[in-house]
Amino acid sequence: MLQTLPAASTAVEAPRLPILQLVGVRKMFGGFAAVEGIDLDVREGEFLTIVGPSGSGKTTLLRMLAGMDTPSEGNITLRGELINDVPPNKRPTCLVFQSLALFPHKSVGENIAFALKVKGADAATRKKRALELMRIVRLPDNYHDKNVMKCSGGERQRVALARAFAYDPEVLFFDEPLSALDYKLKKALEKELKDLHRETGKTFIYITHSLEEAMVMSDRIGVMRAGRLVQVGTPEEIYGAPVDRFVSEFVGEVNTLKMKRVGQQWQGVDVPGTFTLGSPQNGAVLDEAFVVIRPEYMRFLAAGERADNQLKGTVYNEYSLGSRIQYQVRVGSKDAGEKVMLVELSRARALPPGASREVTIGWDAADAFTLGS
Amino acid sequence: MATSPALARKRTNALIWVWTVFVLVAVYLPILCGALASFNKSRYFGFPIKVYATEWWQKTLDSIEIGMLVRNSIAIALLVTVISVVIATFGALAFARYDWKGRRLYQKLIILPIFFPQPVLGLALLLGFNAVGIQTSWLTAVFAHLVWIVPVVTLVIAIQVYGFDASLEEAAYDLGCTRTQVFREVTLPLLWPGIWSGMLFAFLLSWSNFPLSLYTAGADSTIPKWLYAKMVAGYTPMVPALGTMATLGAATLLLGGGLVMLLLRRRQPA
Amino acid sequence: MADIALARAPETARQVRQARMLSVGARCALPVAVLLGIGFLAPMVAILAYSFATPRSFDVFRSFTLENFASIFDPTNTVWLSFAWSVGFALFTVAILAVIAYPIAYGLNAVFGRWAGFISVLFVFPLFVSENVRLYGWVLFFIKNGVLDGTLKWLGLPGGPEVLYTPGVTLFGMAYTYLPFMLFPMTLGLALVPRDLVDAARDLGAGRLFIWREIELPLAMPGILIGMLLTFVLAIGATAEAKILGGQSIIVISHDIEIAFTYSQNWPLGSALAVVVSVFIAALTLTALSKLDLDRMLGRR
Repeated sequence: MLQTLPAASTAVEAPRLPILQLVGVRKMFGGFAAVEGIDLDVREGEFLTIVGPSGSGKTTLLRMLAGMDTPSEGNITLRGELINDVPPNKRPTCLVFQSLALFPHKSVGENIAFALKVKGADAATRKKRALELMRIVRLPDNYHDKNVMKCSGGERQRVALARAFAYDPEVLFFDEPLSALDYKLKKALEKELKDLHRETGKTFIYITHSLEEAMVMSDRIGVMRAGRLVQVGTPEEIYGAPVDRFVSEFVGEVNTLKMKRVGQQWQGVDVPGTFTLGSPQNGAVLDEAFVVIRPEYMRFLAAGERADNQLKGTVYNEYSLGSRIQYQVRVGSKDAGEKVMLVELSRARALPPGASREVTIGWDAADAFTLGS
Repeated sequence: MATSPALARKRTNALIWVWTVFVLVAVYLPILCGALASFNKSRYFGFPIKVYATEWWQKTLDSIEIGMLVRNSIAIALLVTVISVVIATFGALAFARYDWKGRRLYQKLIILPIFFPQPVLGLALLLGFNAVGIQTSWLTAVFAHLVWIVPVVTLVIAIQVYGFDASLEEAAYDLGCTRTQVFREVTLPLLWPGIWSGMLFAFLLSWSNFPLSLYTAGADSTIPKWLYAKMVAGYTPMVPALGTMATLGAATLLLGGGLVMLLLRRRQPA
Repeated sequence: MADIALARAPETARQVRQARMLSVGARCALPVAVLLGIGFLAPMVAILAYSFATPRSFDVFRSFTLENFASIFDPTNTVWLSFAWSVGFALFTVAILAVIAYPIAYGLNAVFGRWAGFISVLFVFPLFVSENVRLYGWVLFFIKNGVLDGTLKWLGLPGGPEVLYTPGVTLFGMAYTYLPFMLFPMTLGLALVPRDLVDAARDLGAGRLFIWREIELPLAMPGILIGMLLTFVLAIGATAEAKILGGQSIIVISHDIEIAFTYSQNWPLGSALAVVVSVFIAALTLTALSKLDLDRMLGRR
C-alpha cells in the first residue's frame, strides 16, 4: 500500500522548480477564516493530494488555485507570476469538478472539444482531437455522438478527464471526482488516473477526504485541518512520522495514551504504570505527551516475553478484517482508569480459540510516536 | 487590460440593480397615481393636485353600494380559497407525488386553463350556465373562479410536493401509521408552507379577478367589476379610492400571510 | 412450490403497492379532474356546439351550419384584422418582455442574494391588484393634465406627449400587465442552470458571451420558452389594455368576441371566433408542453 512507483516519484529524488507557489494564503468568509496561513510549493509534474475532513478548507483552497475564488490575503504564483486575480478562463489550469459539471445538452464529443470550440477550432479539428483524447482515456470511438447523460458513472469520469485534457492545462485540479463511485470502480480509476499522470507528465493536484485514495496515487500528501495545512510530505512520511495527533489519527485507527513526566520517568494518565517513550518527533522537551501506537505494532506477550512497555488487560471483542484480526482489549482498572486498546494481528498469529482472554499486551518504544499536545 | 474582470462584474451587477429598480418603479407607478388621485378634493383629476382631502375615502367607506361589493368580493374569495385549497392539495399530490397512468394527460389538463384567455373562458362559462339553465350570481362566479384558480393553486402546492421526500411517508407507514395518520402526521405538516401560499394565491387572485366575474357574476357585482363600470362611464374619485383600498387590503393580507409563513418556519425545530 | 411462492412474494408485493399507488394518484386527481371537466371542457363543448348554430339565434344543438366560420374567413369581414392586431401585439409583447425580464431573472438568480425573495414578492404583488386598477393608474399618469403632463408643465416644459388612446400605449399596457408571466418562468429556467457548469465552462477558457450562448441560454431555454408561450397566449386573449388604455382605437380579437356576445347578441358568431382562438391557443400550448418535461422544470427529483 505504501509503495510508490520509482519512476513516478520524481518528487523525492530530484526536486524541480515549483510550478505553483502559495505564500501566506488566507480566505475569509465574513469573519471566518476558511483557509489560513497556507505556504506551499507545488513541484512541476508531481501528483499532490490535499486531504482533510469535510470543512477543513480544502475545496476553498482548490477554488482559489483554479481562480473561482480570490484569496483575502497572500500570494499565489504560477511559474513566478502572480495569479491571485487572474480569472479561471485566463489560467492555464483546469478543474475536474466533484459533480463533473458535464454539459447535459452536449454530446460526449462536444463536451470534450468544448475548450477547442472556445479557441475557435473548426469542427474537423475538434472531432479529430476529441477522438484522440477519447482513446487516451479509453472511451470507444462510437461514444463521440452519445448523449453524455446516458453514460455510466465511470464513463462520465473519463469524459470529464478528457475534457480537461483538451484544454491542455499545465496544472490539473481534481475535486473528489471519484467520491460518488462504488468501491471497485473507484479503485480501478485511481490506478488509471495514476497511469495518466505518468503518461502525460502534467502536474496533478487532487483533493479528497479519503487518505486511502491519497496514499495510492500521490507523490506527496498535504493534510489540512481547520483551514491550515498541518503536514506536507510523502505518503511514507505522513504514515510513518505524523506531526501531531490529528494527522496520526487521520491516517488510521490508533491507540493514544496520555503521559506526564515525573522526574526522569513517564507516567500514564489514562492508565496506571510507568512507560518508556521514544524521543518526541521534533526533539522538544515535554512535560506532557501523547503516545500514539498503531494497532498493528501492538502484540500479545507470551509468558516470559518482554517488550519496552506492557499492559495487562482483557480481550472483550474481536473483529475479522479479512486477512487480519483486530482485538479490543480493556486495560487498567475501574478505579485507576480504564481504556480500550486495539491490537491488530495477522491471522497466523491470532489468539488460539481456547486461549485465556486475560492477556498482556506490549509494544516497543521505537514503534510508537511521542507527540506534544 | 482596461478593466479587471471583477470590476466588470461589479459594473454589470450594478446595472442589473438599476434596471430592476427602474422596472419596479414603473410597476408601482400607476398604483401610486391611483392613490394620489383618490386624495384629490376636486371631482376631476388634475396634477399637481391643488387641494388634498380624504373626503372621497370617507364617501367610499360610507357608501352602502360599495359595502355590498366588498361583501360580495370577500364572500367569493373566501369560498374560492376554502374549496380550491382542499381540491388542489390532493390535485398537487396527483400532479407531483404519485406515478399513475393518466398523470401526463392530467398535467396538461391542469395547465390548459391557466394558459386560456380569461375573457373567453368567462364567456364560455356564461354560455355553459345558460345552456343548462343556471341563473348567474355570485355563486356561479365562485365556480368560474375555481376553474381558473384551482389549477394555479395546484401548481403552487405541487412545487412544494416536488421538494418533499416521499420516503418519509413510507417510513411513517412502516412505523405502523394508517394512511390517514400518515397524511395527518407527515404529509400535511410538511406541505403546510405550500398550502399556505396556495391559500394566499387563491384569495388574492379571486379578490382581484375581473374578466371572469364580469360574465359569470350576473347581477351581483364585485369590486373590480364596479370599478370597471365606473372607469368606462361615470368617473368619481371614489374609483381610485376604492382601487387603492383594495390594493391596500391585498398588501395587508400578503404581509400577514408572509408573517405567518415566517412563524411556521420558526416553529420547526432548528 | 414453496420456492416459487417465496420467489414471487416480493414481486407481487411490489406490484400490489404499485397498483395501489396508481389508484391513490387517480383518486387524488379526481376532484380537480371533475371540476375541470365540468368547468372547462364542458363549456368548450358548449361553445363548439354554439359555433355551428344559426347566426343570431340561440338554437344550440337544433341547427347545424358552417355559416359562422364562413363569415369569419370571409375576406370582406374585418375580423381577421382584429386577429392580426392580437397576434402582432402578442409577438411584440413577448419580444419586449424577453428583453425587459432577462436581466431581472438573471439578477434574481445570481445578483440579488438575500434580497431576491423580497424582490420576487414585489413583482408578484401586482398580480393581486385588479388589472383595471393598474391600467387606470396609467390613464391617470398619461392623461392630459395627468401626472406626467402636469409635472412637465409645472416644470415649465411644454407638457407630456399625447400617447393615450393609441395602439402604442396598448402595447405598453400589455407588456406592463404580463411582466410577471415572463419573469417567473424565466427565473425558474435560469435557476435550472447549475452554477458548476458555468464555472466549468469558464475554467475551460470560455468568455462570458460564449458561456451565455453555449451554456446558459440553451439550459435555461425551457423556462424562457414557457415564459414566452405564457405571455403570448395571455396577450392574445387580452382586452383590458386595448379598452382602457387604447380607448378602443383598435379592436383586439377577444374584444370582438365580447362584442359578438354582448352588443350584437350573436352568440353563434362569438362562439365560432372563440373556437378559432381556442384551437389556436390549445394547439400552441399542447405542442410546447409535449416538448417540455414539467417534472424537471418544477424540480422533481
